Amino acid sequence: MLDPSEMPARLAAFLAAEVPGAGDVTVHSYEVMTGGYSRLLARAEVSWRAGGDEQRRTFVLRGDPPPERTLIFTDRHTEFEVVRAMAANGVLTPDAHHFDDGGRLATPTILLDFSPATSLLVDLAGRGAPVELTGPLAEAAASFHRIPLTELPARLERPASAEAYLADRIDEWRRTAATHVEALPILQYVAAWLDAHRPAPVPLSLIHGDFQSSNLMVTADDRIVVLDWELAQIGDPREDLGYFKAVAQAAPPDLIGLDEAAFCARYNELMGFTDEQVNPAVIAYFLILGVIGTVRRLLEAGAAFSRGENTSLNAVFNARNVMFGQSMWLQFSEQLEQAFAAAKEA
Amino acid sequence: MYVRPSTDQIIEGACRELDEQVLPLLAAGSPASVLVQQMVQLLRGCAVRAAHEIAWMHEETAAIVEAVAGIDDDATAAALAAYHAAPAGGLHLDEVAHRYDLASQALGAAVEAAYRSGDVAQQEALRALLRARSANEMAVVGALELVGRG
Repeated sequence: MLDPSEMPARLAAFLAAEVPGAGDVTVHSYEVMTGGYSRLLARAEVSWRAGGDEQRRTFVLRGDPPPERTLIFTDRHTEFEVVRAMAANGVLTPDAHHFDDGGRLATPTILLDFSPATSLLVDLAGRGAPVELTGPLAEAAASFHRIPLTELPARLERPASAEAYLADRIDEWRRTAATHVEALPILQYVAAWLDAHRPAPVPLSLIHGDFQSSNLMVTADDRIVVLDWELAQIGDPREDLGYFKAVAQAAPPDLIGLDEAAFCARYNELMGFTDEQVNPAVIAYFLILGVIGTVRRLLEAGAAFSRGENTSLNAVFNARNVMFGQSMWLQFSEQLEQAFAAAKEA
Repeated sequence: MYVRPSTDQIIEGACRELDEQVLPLLAAGSPASVLVQQMVQLLRGCAVRAAHEIAWMHEETAAIVEAVAGIDDDATAAALAAYHAAPAGGLHLDEVAHRYDLASQALGAAVEAAYRSGDVAQQEALRALLRARSANEMAVVGALELVGRG
């Protein structure tokens, strides 16, 4: 997918076979993009003739790197089906049109619409009042959290219950520590702490799994576009809120933290949740819990490098970021403990 | 063997050259530029580790062994026994790291035991060890810059 001398011909042949009635398929440009931590990205300007009319499209190709350069292993076919379900349910996201298992495009790949929206990070750099986006962020999260489970791809695993899911998610911290290449006592601490402070449950929903500023864009009318669904799964929706806040600690601004009460009020209104189910303390709890999926994958990639099974320096770079996380989890858990104790006294 | 300039000084020098001589030759935001920026951050962490990691592992290990010695918990006792059974005294990195790993397993078990029993004082004592561990890790990580993000 990274070879611009080979890919245009592959892509043209793929589209000629995939698009009903398409002829004269021409790839006008093919450009490798940066920005994807875990996937290869490219942008292609394409045209074809169908029924006498010329169709012109810009696609983003999102494909798997070779195994020895793979940071995390996720399934493109599942991602393709998730994106289709999101678009069909009104979530603002570039729709996916085609999937290839690697037979024709050299690696498992999905073809998505190119979004003309602005990267949130770029937008924030030039925006005077980022708090304007706190409401739209709540709306973006709720847009996919409230999709009924029956509307989601069958290949996504359904946990037995919200309580069982939370217990398993907490235990994932222990499993991650137990299988790593060296002892990780801070992860064991996190598991024990999370177990001791479980919040009131909410119904299971689709979660994005990597809900952070770098996976968001902003339209001209301040609506938020959500990208990159490779880590989507069914889980506790508050994980996405906590995860967003967690990443924002390392890479501000924290759009939730700018007006946390307003964020929670808008989100709860859209989701039908109570103040007990989602409030700033609960989000802080999920700031810790919500990152385990990514933490596990980053640590697995770092461990693979350590064992000589992976040659990607990116794996080491990202695993190192877990150290920042550890510092944050310690800090937030202590603050929350004080907040819980104060609330109990009151 | 020669030890001056020190390992951390040499690595810092290499980082400086990468920053000042190599990065300007690469297109901003290109995959090669992102990779070099990641390398510089990783190398800076390696410089700190080269200078301090053996001492830090020694210090943390001693503090852990002292703190968990009296904890009444089977998993903690077993992990501590494994630590004491390991060869002591070697100063090569692998030897120190092995003892540190065994002590860290005892610390993890002790933390779980403290939360199971609800012993708040024990929880706080062990959390102090985790804070010290994290402080050393953050000295290695330095200023976190998520290059290539977005």
